[in-house]
Amino acid sequence: MGELVLSNRASAATHSEANDEVTQYLTFAVSDERLAMSIDAVKEIIETPSVTRVPMTPDYIRGVINLRGSVVPVIDLGARLGRGPIVLTKRSCIVLVEVRVGDEAHVLGMLVDEVKNILEIARDDIKPPPEFGSEIRTDFIEAMGRVDDVFVIILSVDHVLSLQELAALRRISQDSASGGVDGES
Amino acid sequence: MSLDSARQAFLAEVAELLQSMEDALLALEDDPTDAESLNAVFRAMHTIKGTGGVFGYDAIVEFTHTVETLMDQVRSGQVPLTRPLIETLFACRDHSAQLVDAIVAADTPDAPLDPELAQAGAVLLARLAPAGAVAAPAPTATPTREMRNLPVASDLWMLTLKFKRDSFRDGIDPLSFLRYLGSLGELVHVAVQLDPEALRIETFDAESCYLQFGIGFRGEVDKPTLAGVFEFADQDCELRILEPDTAQSKYLELLAAVPDDQVGWIGDLLLRIGALTAGELERALQTQSSEGAGETPEARKRRVGEILVEQGSIKPAVVEQAVRTQDAARARRQEEAHFIRVDAQRLGHLIDLIGELVTSSAAIRVLVKRAGIEDMNEVVDGVDYLVSEIRDNALQLRMVQIGESLSRFKRVVRDVSHELGKEIDLSVTGGETELDKTVVEKMIDPLTHLIRNAIDHGIETPEIRLAHGKPAQGTVRINAYHDSGHIVVEIADDGAGLDTARIRAKAESVGLIKPDEVLTHEETLRLIFAPGLSTKEQATNLSGRGVGMDVVRRNIEALRGTVELDSRLGEGTQVTIVLPLTLAIIDGFLVGAGPDQYVIPLAQVAECVEMGAASGVKRHSEHYINLRNEVLPFIRLTELFENADPAHRTGHRESLVVVRFGHHKMGLVVDTLLGELQTVIKPLGKVFERLRGVAGATILGTGDIALILDVAELAAIAEGQRSGSGKRLASA
Repeated sequence: MGELVLSNRASAATHSEANDEVTQYLTFAVSDERLAMSIDAVKEIIETPSVTRVPMTPDYIRGVINLRGSVVPVIDLGARLGRGPIVLTKRSCIVLVEVRVGDEAHVLGMLVDEVKNILEIARDDIKPPPEFGSEIRTDFIEAMGRVDDVFVIILSVDHVLSLQELAALRRISQDSASGGVDGES
Repeated sequence: MSLDSARQAFLAEVAELLQSMEDALLALEDDPTDAESLNAVFRAMHTIKGTGGVFGYDAIVEFTHTVETLMDQVRSGQVPLTRPLIETLFACRDHSAQLVDAIVAADTPDAPLDPELAQAGAVLLARLAPAGAVAAPAPTATPTREMRNLPVASDLWMLTLKFKRDSFRDGIDPLSFLRYLGSLGELVHVAVQLDPEALRIETFDAESCYLQFGIGFRGEVDKPTLAGVFEFADQDCELRILEPDTAQSKYLELLAAVPDDQVGWIGDLLLRIGALTAGELERALQTQSSEGAGETPEARKRRVGEILVEQGSIKPAVVEQAVRTQDAARARRQEEAHFIRVDAQRLGHLIDLIGELVTSSAAIRVLVKRAGIEDMNEVVDGVDYLVSEIRDNALQLRMVQIGESLSRFKRVVRDVSHELGKEIDLSVTGGETELDKTVVEKMIDPLTHLIRNAIDHGIETPEIRLAHGKPAQGTVRINAYHDSGHIVVEIADDGAGLDTARIRAKAESVGLIKPDEVLTHEETLRLIFAPGLSTKEQATNLSGRGVGMDVVRRNIEALRGTVELDSRLGEGTQVTIVLPLTLAIIDGFLVGAGPDQYVIPLAQVAECVEMGAASGVKRHSEHYINLRNEVLPFIRLTELFENADPAHRTGHRESLVVVRFGHHKMGLVVDTLLGELQTVIKPLGKVFERLRGVAGATILGTGDIALILDVAELAAIAEGQRSGSGKRLASA
């Protein structure tokens, strides 16, 4: 099926010995923007299988997939970040992420437009998130990573895929209307 | 079996025994003379003592031994079973449980006992002491084999003593035995006989003994004691002891009461109850071995009894009873042998595997159909049939009767009603109803909460009840029964009922409803399931500790169940819980709506009809349909789910699936009917835990996922969307 299984941190860790405090990030694209996420949480990347829609849920819940016999929810990262649902193409992928709540591990799928590559970013090149001016909810941004003088948004797994918030099954418009969650500026 | 697993087995056994002890004590409260319950209490203590001894848990042995001894005295009628004594025995039961937990957890048998626990035990034993002459500390470590001294009432023991020729030469003085015997009781009459041989003058030897005695003896002794008198002359005389009739009836009673695990060979059995002396048994066994070598054990067993009767050691009636006791014990043991204890996890793993098997066989069916291999259809059908049989049988393994779990509530009701000074009777019906053990375990907490609510908030004190013209004793009724693939558990009380005005006031004060909102009686009652609503001002010891009806509802809904409440002020409250029988695999009915497929639990499907006037289905109004003159509410799935498929819009004939849930019926309008399928329920996970209307998911033979619909919740959602005010309630 052409699945790309990542063995954590196994690949290409040989070069760039300049700074030993190096973290690996998986980068992917959503609505033509390059985003990154710490690779620690990423379990696996798969091609998009058929996704079963779950009725009466907000649009950032894309549905559920059959992952080798278990039912795994899939989050539409485009909708989740307020960029509109992702349109499936040949390049769209699902990034499987493990989210821990207490002692329990939950696997979630994250639908993205395209998976790019794995980046190594030195600690010196990681900057705090801007306080405003981003189109993405500020709590979704963990940090900014500088790569070749361009900043890449590093997403916070805990916030983007917060089970508690996802399980509320509220539509984003309702979120801002009720004022419960940070507005999207 | 490692020591650890042996300990686990011990714990499981103790739990079971203590449960049966509790049941027995509850029964004894109603009838303090119930022999079976008395035995059950005795047996529980006795067995725990024995097994505890094997592990070297001395503290357990010591404690249970004292209780056992007391129970033995109660059983034999020496100590009356009073209410305070039952109370103490309840406490002893609880203490035993704590003791076992503490000691097994401590891991080393000789670890010092927690002083608090030891103190509690001593207090209990002290409370037992005045009730009966409590025995000295038990012999530790080894299970006791002591047989109690039975006082035997009057009437005469008949002893025959036949001394052997060489008695005098061996230095035996027959008279000294008689004198000793006389010191134990009263020699009512002594008949001296001479061996006829003595009269044959030609062989008579003045130094030989020709004496035979027939003695009528009265005294408070038992057979082994009497035999002991002549123990010294064992080799020199033939002794027969025949017990008085009163002793015999005592034997019969004792035989009936011998715990199963002590029933062995008939000789041992008779020896144990004191009906036989070791000498008598040995003689009989010798006779037996000289008579019948090579016979089957079965034949031999009968004959020991016969020989004993023949040699005059025992009366036939006693042997008969012994044989009966033996047979009964054997039968019970065989019954026990029909059960195997299985680790619940292994069973769970088996059921998971069968779930995968169901999915795989569905996949095969899809592939065979796609490839168009006609020849294989029959094989696939056969496999399907087998898989569904295996599935049913495997699920059956995990089915338990709900009554076993409900019986624990008797204790709760009893303790709590004492504490509150209320008189409450708990009646349980339908205890034989079966459901999956995993469901039982998860429903115990909510059930406990509901029952405590009924006792605490529901039933009034006797004074108030009498003032309202009700009987002083309140009733809490639990009733369980099966209904279309679900189990229904009703918890009803005849207490004060719920005050809708107060619920409303409270709901308004916490902002749950607006003051001008109009609610029906049912809607107001349903408010009680909303979070943060507890009408009891004062939190009591028992309930109202912040875990309210909303938690009950959430727990029940997590099991794909529903909970409904009905109450009339002053008349009582009834809570009805409906739960699926299993959380693993069900029979489902697959339908298509829009581009998606959904499973409806087959047990809830009443019928399927095609939409259209020809089949008797007429659209009555926007939300109702006329099916053969019956008016049904209906939901069009594609409307509710907003997933209408444009391809289906024109010229497509929809179907109506009539579903039932509880006492309600409803129609679901779908695009296509796809037929029955075995449905392995997969949880949807935490993200969807608050999603209503969908109970889970299943994987189809194609590898696609179909969602399993929760019909009752769908109805609630649809109702909520129609009546604006109900919307909040439905999603509260």
